[in-house]
Amino acid sequence: MGVSMTTIMDAILSAAVAQHGGEAAHAAVAASHGVTGPLWIGLIPLLPLLGVVLVTLLACFNEKSKMPAWISVGLLAVSFLLTLFAYLGWNGHDAIHLKLWDWIGLSWGDLRGQTLAAGFAFYFDGLSLLWMLFVTGLACLIGLYASEYMEHDAGLGYCRFFAAFNLFVFSMSCLVMGDNLLMLFLGWEGVGLCSYLLIGYFYKKKSAVDAGMKAFVVNRIGDLGLLMGMLLTFTTFGTLQYDALFNQIHTGLTAGGTPLSQTWQVWAIPLLLMGGAFGKSAQLFFYVWLPDAMEGPTPVSALIHAATMVTAGVYLVARMMPLYLADPAHIALTAVTWGGAITAFWSATIAVAQFDIKRIMGYSTISQLGYMFAGLGVLATTGGVFHVFTHAFFKATLFLSCGAVMHGFAGQLDMRKLSGLWSINGFRVVVIAMLIGCLNLSGFPFTGGYFSKDMIIAEAFVTPDSVIAGSSWAGWLLLLTAGMTAYYTFRVFFRVFVGPVVYEPGEDLHAHDDHEHADAHGHGHGHDDAHDHAAEHFHPHGPKWAINLVLTLLSVGCILSAGLYFLGDHHGWAGGMVHASSAVVDTHAVEGGEEALLFGQPPHEIMFYISAVFGFGGILLAAWFHGPKGIAGLLIGGRTTAAEVRMDPIAKALRPISTWAVRKWYVDEFYHLVLVTPLKIFAHLFHWFDKLIVDGLVNFFGATPRVSSDAIGESTQTGVLHDYALRMVAGIAVVLVVVVLVLF
Amino acid sequence: MNLAIADLPINPLLLYIACALGAVGVIFAMPRRGNNPAIVGGLVAAVAAGLVVLGLTLGSGRGEPTPSVFFYIFALLALGGGLRMITHPKPVYAALYFILTIIASSGLYLLLSAEFMAFALVVIYAGAIIITYLFVIMLATQAPSADDVDALSVYDASAHEPIAASAAGFVLLALLTTMLFHGTPDLPTRPGIDSSDAILARLPGKVDDALTPILLANGLMNEDERIARMADTGEVMINSAKHTVLVTNAEVAGEAPTRETGRLVEVPAELWPSDLSGTNVEGLGLNLLGEHPMTIEIAGVVLLMAMLGATVLARKQVDLEEEAKARQARHLALDGAIAGPGGAN
Amino acid sequence: MHALLADSTLTGGLLTLAQSDFPHALSTLTLNHYLFVSAAMFALGIIGFLTRRNLIIMFLCTELMFQAAGLALIAFGRYHLNFDGQSFVIFVLTIAAAEAAMALALVVLLFRRRESLDADLWAELKG
Repeated sequence: MGVSMTTIMDAILSAAVAQHGGEAAHAAVAASHGVTGPLWIGLIPLLPLLGVVLVTLLACFNEKSKMPAWISVGLLAVSFLLTLFAYLGWNGHDAIHLKLWDWIGLSWGDLRGQTLAAGFAFYFDGLSLLWMLFVTGLACLIGLYASEYMEHDAGLGYCRFFAAFNLFVFSMSCLVMGDNLLMLFLGWEGVGLCSYLLIGYFYKKKSAVDAGMKAFVVNRIGDLGLLMGMLLTFTTFGTLQYDALFNQIHTGLTAGGTPLSQTWQVWAIPLLLMGGAFGKSAQLFFYVWLPDAMEGPTPVSALIHAATMVTAGVYLVARMMPLYLADPAHIALTAVTWGGAITAFWSATIAVAQFDIKRIMGYSTISQLGYMFAGLGVLATTGGVFHVFTHAFFKATLFLSCGAVMHGFAGQLDMRKLSGLWSINGFRVVVIAMLIGCLNLSGFPFTGGYFSKDMIIAEAFVTPDSVIAGSSWAGWLLLLTAGMTAYYTFRVFFRVFVGPVVYEPGEDLHAHDDHEHADAHGHGHGHDDAHDHAAEHFHPHGPKWAINLVLTLLSVGCILSAGLYFLGDHHGWAGGMVHASSAVVDTHAVEGGEEALLFGQPPHEIMFYISAVFGFGGILLAAWFHGPKGIAGLLIGGRTTAAEVRMDPIAKALRPISTWAVRKWYVDEFYHLVLVTPLKIFAHLFHWFDKLIVDGLVNFFGATPRVSSDAIGESTQTGVLHDYALRMVAGIAVVLVVVVLVLF
Repeated sequence: MNLAIADLPINPLLLYIACALGAVGVIFAMPRRGNNPAIVGGLVAAVAAGLVVLGLTLGSGRGEPTPSVFFYIFALLALGGGLRMITHPKPVYAALYFILTIIASSGLYLLLSAEFMAFALVVIYAGAIIITYLFVIMLATQAPSADDVDALSVYDASAHEPIAASAAGFVLLALLTTMLFHGTPDLPTRPGIDSSDAILARLPGKVDDALTPILLANGLMNEDERIARMADTGEVMINSAKHTVLVTNAEVAGEAPTRETGRLVEVPAELWPSDLSGTNVEGLGLNLLGEHPMTIEIAGVVLLMAMLGATVLARKQVDLEEEAKARQARHLALDGAIAGPGGAN
Repeated sequence: MHALLADSTLTGGLLTLAQSDFPHALSTLTLNHYLFVSAAMFALGIIGFLTRRNLIIMFLCTELMFQAAGLALIAFGRYHLNFDGQSFVIFVLTIAAAEAAMALALVVLLFRRRESLDADLWAELKG
């Protein structure tokens, strides 16, 4: 198997290299409408699909080894390399087109807008290339991580995990690489499905199943917006293909010839699409599903619910930027800005009060996604997209570090019961990776997160309030959130990763899947009958090579991502990529050339200092409240145990508010009361209506012939062959009598 | 209901009376417990059949030829055998009566100039199928009690709703015959389609063998001439009634013969071979293989599948309960006791 | 074969009768005679099927109905002076043979289950 896999990969690679030369030559003569890409680009999504098939086959053979992981990682690595080749062979400004086959072709007339055509086609411009680079790259790395993380589930669960994992990458590739909104929709629903499958991976755990359902249902509500937006796009512009759509928008007319600015669709479509994007990216009212989604295995949280899938909404808005800009009033952009900013702040207020470190990371993801949307809203597409990129790396690092902790401490995630990992043997790599991730997240100067976040906040001040209503207020809100982010991030770090060594093993081992594992976890743990006894003998085990390797690579990626800011002409490398895509915004044209000032300075320059102050402030606060005594607590911390910190008396003083924050502002309860309970009541009402009235009617009509036929059937349905035959002959005779009477 | 009585070969009233009579006869002839006036039933049914035949033969005043006496004999045998077959309480006798019906039917086939089918019927039905039935009857029948092995099984000794069934059957018969008799005058006829000459025309080898020596020996045909085979169909042109045949020298000259290039030779009646005619078997063979080749293939497949299916079905093991096994074992012991003295004889 | 049969007086006579008749079509009246025999045979088959409870005899009755159909086919073929009727009888015989094989196998199977040939014992379809 191994040999054949290498052979296949070699063949693909050599084909890729051979194609690469030809493609570069082709690009030179290509027109500005884009170039036709080489066929092997199609392999980027199809290889993960092949992975689904292979892993499913392995599941059929009840494979118990780690083969599914190696197949997945190998295929994803090839996929990543192909993406890299596509990027290297790209001419830097034209979109690469590749149509594999006609997928949907409906026509009900010859006029424009009476043909719904969508190819299974790919569209590679800067935006999709950037997305694909980190999607495939991170998927490959996280797959490698999961090979170790999921090892106690080797067997059917392992295959199930990797099949869904590969299917996710396939769907995400379709979403990002698709050349029309229908492809995007295919991927959109595909990633939603995979998200559902993987959140509910531990399907014997009710909370996991509920979380999966919640994610699916909440996403459905958002998807309704996306679907309606798509349909409205089609009726308005007559096409769903990106190039044709953007050209049509560029003309400023609808397909029917009406000036766009006079139609209601010009603000309705972006708002509807925003609804879809907010659902998928857990913004505003829709955010509730994402924290619960942390029930899934940690690699899933890292890849799907932090780095890739949740950024699909950002991708959608960035991709449809021309549509958002077409509205002269910028209604939808304002909504995106404020939706993002409020969400960023709101979820940060929840994150500061939580004790489950993975959930804190979940809330911080929501918060960071809010930044990205706010960035797109205030026309800082470069900043937003760059933040997507850096966030993908550092949030994956943070999640995987948390996962390593969870892996080592039998599912323990409560920061009150963990402390001083630095001093526990085998966790050094995890702590360092965590530190790098935390620094990025809190916007520590000269980290990737610092640059990308600054671009967004600064642009919020740059963009005049006349263009995006209240844009500078959103900027202040985001700045405040940046401080809170630094605080809650380092709250985790100071409490869990440094300080005195205290730990308690978690209640369960994160493997409840297909089989109870006796002592796969080793170190004398896992015997249910003597759990308390076992807890006394619990020894945390540090991660092995795969997790350490992935954490190291991701940390390096985090550090290097900062350097991207200095590449290229358009505000860094990400700016260059955005510039070569539909997401590019001509800010001068939109903003009318005026540029707001902040404290009398250009915001982009002064923001480096302001956000650094906020970041440092947050970190110092965290150190004071949560840092341990000694140098690890920046010399100002005073914590000596795991559970007690200086924050506790303050939280006690703020009792009602702090309790509310711990209880996540009762949003879930509120939703339950306002939405779920009425729905349940209605459901019960309808259930009884259905049962009594609808079923009653149907049953009545069903029962009438049954009851009436019972009387006949009792005597006729004897089961005796002769009776049936006799009746058949008598029937024929009757028919013949009729025929004779009629004919003669 | 305006039955055009004149169109029918038999008075409908007579037909229906005969049908009713037949039904009564069959009802009487059915096996039942107690008194069994089978003879009466058979007689009544025979009278009914005779009535119909009489009505058919005498009722038509149009002077058309009626069937020969052989027809009446065979028809009586066939219907009588059939009646006895469905009424005889013992399965073996029923099968034997069915053989009688078969043989009588083959006689009817002979009367219809279907010699091949007549003999095939005897061979296949009487020889193969019915023998299989007999085997199965012997395999699958058990005496109801050990004391009286000649006693009838309950299900053989009693009929299932004989009155209703007979009524339905004869109503069907009355309607069927009404419709048939009503339709036959309108039947299109295509005389001569498969006449003896038509068959011979498609058998050039046979014609060659029979005629060429005669023609050559009597100087009716030259050395360079052959009996002509049509270029388009490959048939020969022969007329047995006029004793003519088409000959040609075109084949020698390398040309394809046609009706125009040939020469019609008239053979004197005394020289014409008397046994030169297309037989039933030849005609049937040409028809079967010439016009229904695909059907033959399908029939072959059907037979194969039936063979396989029968094998599979018959091999299936049936799990019986302990009690049933014991019962079967008793039956087997009983069979052995019967076979014992028989074997000694 | 032909000569052998021709020697025997009865069959020879019959053959002569049939042969000499051959070029001439049957009269409609004669056809009606055959059709009546055929229909009566068919009715007898149906009645037998409806009344007899022995599975084997029920199948024998279906054979009788096949016979009736064959007789009608041959009579019609003779009436039209072609061989299609006889060809079809060959196929009817084929189907009858196949049916007999399957039916008898089923009968054996059924008998093994109930140790009886009574069709009334199989009443699972009772509604």
